[in-house]
Amino acid sequence: MTAPLFGKILIANRGEIACRVIRTLDAMGIASVAIHHSVEARARHVRMASEAVAIDGETPVGAHLDIDAIVAAALASGADAIHPGYGFLSENARFAAAVEKAGIVFIGPDAATISLMGDKISARAFAEAQGVPVAPSVMPTGDLDDFIARAESIGFPLLIKAAAGGGGKGMSIVRSAEGLREAARIAAGEAQRYFGDGRVYAETYVERPRHIEVQVLGDGDGGAIHLFERECSVQRRFQKIIEEAPAARLDPALRDAICASAVRLAAAARYKNAGTVEYILGADGRFFFLEMNTRLQVEHPVTEMVTGIDLVRAQIEIAAGRGLPAKQGKIAVCGHAIECRICAEDPDRDFLPETGMLAHLGVPEAPWLRFENALDPGQKITADFDPMLAKLVAHGTTRAEAIDRSIAALEGLALLGVTTNIDYLARVLDNAAFRAGDLHTGFVAEQREALAPPPIPPQLRAQVLAAAALGLRDFRELALGTPEPHAAIGGWRN
Amino acid sequence: MSLKLTLDGKVHEVSIVRRRPHLVLRIDGQDHELTELPAEGRGHASMAMGGHAVSFARATVADRQLLRLAGRTFEVGTVDPFSKAGAGGASQDVVRAPMPGAVISVHRRAGEAVARGEVLVTIESMKLQTGLAAPRDGILAAIHRFEGETFEKDEVIATLEPQVDEG
Amino acid sequence: MRKIQSMISTSSADFRRFDRHNRAMLADFRARQEAARHQRPERDLDRLASQGKMRPRERIEKLLDPGTPFLELSSLAANMAYGGDSPSASSIVGIGIVSGREVVIRADDPTVKGGAWYPLTAKKIVRALDIAMENRLPVLHLCDSAGGFLQLQSEVFPDKYMAGRIFRNQSILSKMGVKQLALVFGHCTAGGAYIPGLSDYSVIVRGTGAVFLGGPPLVRAATGEEVSVEDLGGADMHTSVSGTCDYPAATEEEAIHIGREIVAQWDRAKKWDCQRDAPEDPAYDPQEIYGIVPDDIKKSFDMREIIARMVDGSRFHEYQPNYGTTLICGYANIWGYKVGILANNGVLFNDSSLKGGHFIELCNQNNTPLVFLQNITGYMIGKEYERRGITKDGAKMIMAQSCSRVPKFTVMCNGSFGAGNYGMCGRAFDGRFLFTWPNHQIGVMGGDQAANTLAEVKINQMKRNGGGVDEAVVRQLWEETRAAYQEQLSAYHSTSELWDDGIIDPVDTRNALAIAISASLNAPLADPGYGVFRF
Repeated sequence: MTAPLFGKILIANRGEIACRVIRTLDAMGIASVAIHHSVEARARHVRMASEAVAIDGETPVGAHLDIDAIVAAALASGADAIHPGYGFLSENARFAAAVEKAGIVFIGPDAATISLMGDKISARAFAEAQGVPVAPSVMPTGDLDDFIARAESIGFPLLIKAAAGGGGKGMSIVRSAEGLREAARIAAGEAQRYFGDGRVYAETYVERPRHIEVQVLGDGDGGAIHLFERECSVQRRFQKIIEEAPAARLDPALRDAICASAVRLAAAARYKNAGTVEYILGADGRFFFLEMNTRLQVEHPVTEMVTGIDLVRAQIEIAAGRGLPAKQGKIAVCGHAIECRICAEDPDRDFLPETGMLAHLGVPEAPWLRFENALDPGQKITADFDPMLAKLVAHGTTRAEAIDRSIAALEGLALLGVTTNIDYLARVLDNAAFRAGDLHTGFVAEQREALAPPPIPPQLRAQVLAAAALGLRDFRELALGTPEPHAAIGGWRN
Repeated sequence: MSLKLTLDGKVHEVSIVRRRPHLVLRIDGQDHELTELPAEGRGHASMAMGGHAVSFARATVADRQLLRLAGRTFEVGTVDPFSKAGAGGASQDVVRAPMPGAVISVHRRAGEAVARGEVLVTIESMKLQTGLAAPRDGILAAIHRFEGETFEKDEVIATLEPQVDEG
Repeated sequence: MRKIQSMISTSSADFRRFDRHNRAMLADFRARQEAARHQRPERDLDRLASQGKMRPRERIEKLLDPGTPFLELSSLAANMAYGGDSPSASSIVGIGIVSGREVVIRADDPTVKGGAWYPLTAKKIVRALDIAMENRLPVLHLCDSAGGFLQLQSEVFPDKYMAGRIFRNQSILSKMGVKQLALVFGHCTAGGAYIPGLSDYSVIVRGTGAVFLGGPPLVRAATGEEVSVEDLGGADMHTSVSGTCDYPAATEEEAIHIGREIVAQWDRAKKWDCQRDAPEDPAYDPQEIYGIVPDDIKKSFDMREIIARMVDGSRFHEYQPNYGTTLICGYANIWGYKVGILANNGVLFNDSSLKGGHFIELCNQNNTPLVFLQNITGYMIGKEYERRGITKDGAKMIMAQSCSRVPKFTVMCNGSFGAGNYGMCGRAFDGRFLFTWPNHQIGVMGGDQAANTLAEVKINQMKRNGGGVDEAVVRQLWEETRAAYQEQLSAYHSTSELWDDGIIDPVDTRNALAIAISASLNAPLADPGYGVFRF
């Protein structure tokens, strides 16, 4: 407890995550510096921060990617650390290096670790070297027989694809040795035709894969702990929309194995600060390293809710040299937490992003609920930024309770003026397969029909129409403006 | 006298049956009694209808109402009671000059489909430029004055194809 | 206020007999009303439909706010005139709510003789505009009339209270700030053109609506000019060229919608502050009135029993309960409105006349509208009463009533004979509204009395002429006189001639009075003249 904490921290981000970081800074008594593009001069994170610096940029996103300007802003404002949040420059090694070079603490791992984990090939090799399982694969050689022999050895099912390809061309799934040769021949032919390169590549095909990730914290000196896992299998357009902690229906021994491998990786990398090791988990219990995210995750609140650890505080304390927040043995999972990402998108039109104006915002409140957002009524929802508007995170003593509470909170959430996925999320949570924990990354596509909006029951329709009618000035006047005794006498005729 | 609203791609009718002791609305032929009325304006409101307490949120964006009720979001539109032809009718087949002047530019050509309110011809008169708009949706039959030509007040500048009576 | 304790036994033989009698009478009334409202030659209805026009009552229903009342006035006007050719006097008049405002609606009826105006049509329209003036009610004219019924022009056109009065009243209404809107659904020709012309706002339907002083045939005859209806006085001409009408409408529905929007722009009436309490239904069933009013006009009944079935909670504060007992006076509420009721319970004597005059003054002092429930055979006659000054005392009551500043309403509950009609606010006394029950009879005297009087004169004449009394001749005279009187005495004759504002079902009296009282409060109350004389 000798290392000094920071006097002022610049948050190189915006939106809900900037607000969330500032909340912890306020609690820790640390001054905050917000940055913003001119379009967001009055945004919530700017208003919440102790001070704010405008960053010029052709586009709002461009401003948030301007390393030099942000470092300059930190220097000018006297910040002694930078929290990058997620997205933007949070996994940019050049940024981390530039920050350190400017004599400012980067709240995250060092640039070398970011580089190592940022490259899929090097990350995979490093993981494999630490005994972290990676999906077996057979790299192409010129010799088809040799390829088949080696492919058979890693087992079935296998995914065969063109080495130079993409877009599903020349791709097939092989479930037995009998079909392998034929599939490889066809794949090679297609690969030749489409890509002018007949080499094919095979890897273990994980059926109905689950996305499991482990939150880790490292002290940078080889000390590392995990804060258990999260499951993020419900995805659309390759992005997570619902995350939970802990993972549903996960065998304790398997959980231990997964978490242990993540700690092993972090420790070996002498990882510093918060990171997340992502895995693919097959129905057969095999799990494979996917990648490591060297930053705070969008879905970090579910971990905070079940472990009671403030991850942003932990990040700051680690960056300040105070070490890890707790010993592994002191960390336990209490209950279950679910995060729903509220996005401006239309689930009925393939989740295409939507724009509009936030005409009304009504947020339910409960001690078990966090609504992470930076929304202001009247705010324009534009295509300038990511369509994620907010995160709704609920805790329950059991998974079932967390689901019920999440549904109740989603139903109580009113976000009017732009089409959102709120109703869709509630339908996902109430879906029988979801409730059963029968999750995999193809869930959204598989349950497509079950997740379609149900017809409006007559009574509900009547309620909506009554509420709408009485929301119209003229109709309201017609209904309520009748003088007495005529209103009381009613539709009498003599 | 009934209100026509759109919801879920269909038109629904709402009318008032009686007001005392409680407001009774007839919605698509079914009567519903409101023992508690919602407050006016946007935001959160509650009402009691058919013995059920209903709480909801409401916002208005342009000509649509957005309602959040029973954990679902609904978009309700209002059907304009005025006929599509507007109040103009036969006089809506022609665009007349509101004052004497000269044509500055012609924007649409005969045979083209035009929408109500779309500027067909820009004129200048008394140092003031004015856009002459289509009085209704329709097909432009002819433009009678072109760039540089002058005209008198009430002269016909453009005509639309006569409307076929839908009835 | 005390609740009236009814003495009526609904199981008595009298009650059941009266109930049968009055319900039969009511059924007859409803049948006549139904015919006047809806029975039309097929060809007239077909013609209307082929023009794409609504029937006038459909127009009214669409114009009114849904779920609000419409008090139709004089539905049986002209029912005994013109051989029945002018049902409801070819015009529908009533009070209703449009866009939350109390208005008079006056609609031509194109389903009879093209909506032509008969003499009684003009009388009905003039009365409608008088009501508008007296009660400051805006008027909505639903125009669709061929013009005056030419065969009877001498009874429609020249005199003070004939058609010209309509346009005079329209002008005065406008000056008074009472708005008028004309919805032109059909032709408004000649004088009729001035209805939209003198209205403050007008809407005209394209294709069917037209306004001109002379139609195309008249123009052709007069000047040889050939012109179409549309070019002469159609919607587009009047709304874009002449400016005679304000708003064109593509359809009748649209005209009605525009009309409702126009009314919605009008300032809301500021009524004077009549005492009003929370309304309450009568404690006794109003339907029991049918079993209380006897089957013979000569049979008496206690008017308190009627009051008990007309007022809120059947509660009544009776004034001077032990004095002048043939005239019941007291306070009650009707749909919440505090009213002073004067109801006949027998012939008017000196004391009942003085009591009536006094109570009328009390109501004037208290800003309380007056309701007269007539069942009167007259003021008491005879030497004793003349010596006591019955004429003088009756004059006091008539004076107090005539000079009242509070609104007055009269219901003809049964008989109305002789000068009692005057004291009890008969038609001549400018009551705001006068409603009649189907059993009502009115005349300077009853049919029997008139026949007796004339028979007496005839006998004396025969005696003077020296001849014997020819009983057969006297008998015939008696019968003829009585029959003629009976017809003229009937409520249907009254209402045909517009001596009232319509026959109503006795059970409807409460609603009719409430709507009438509400309307009356729009006109400001005059200042009081004197204090209360205790006569």
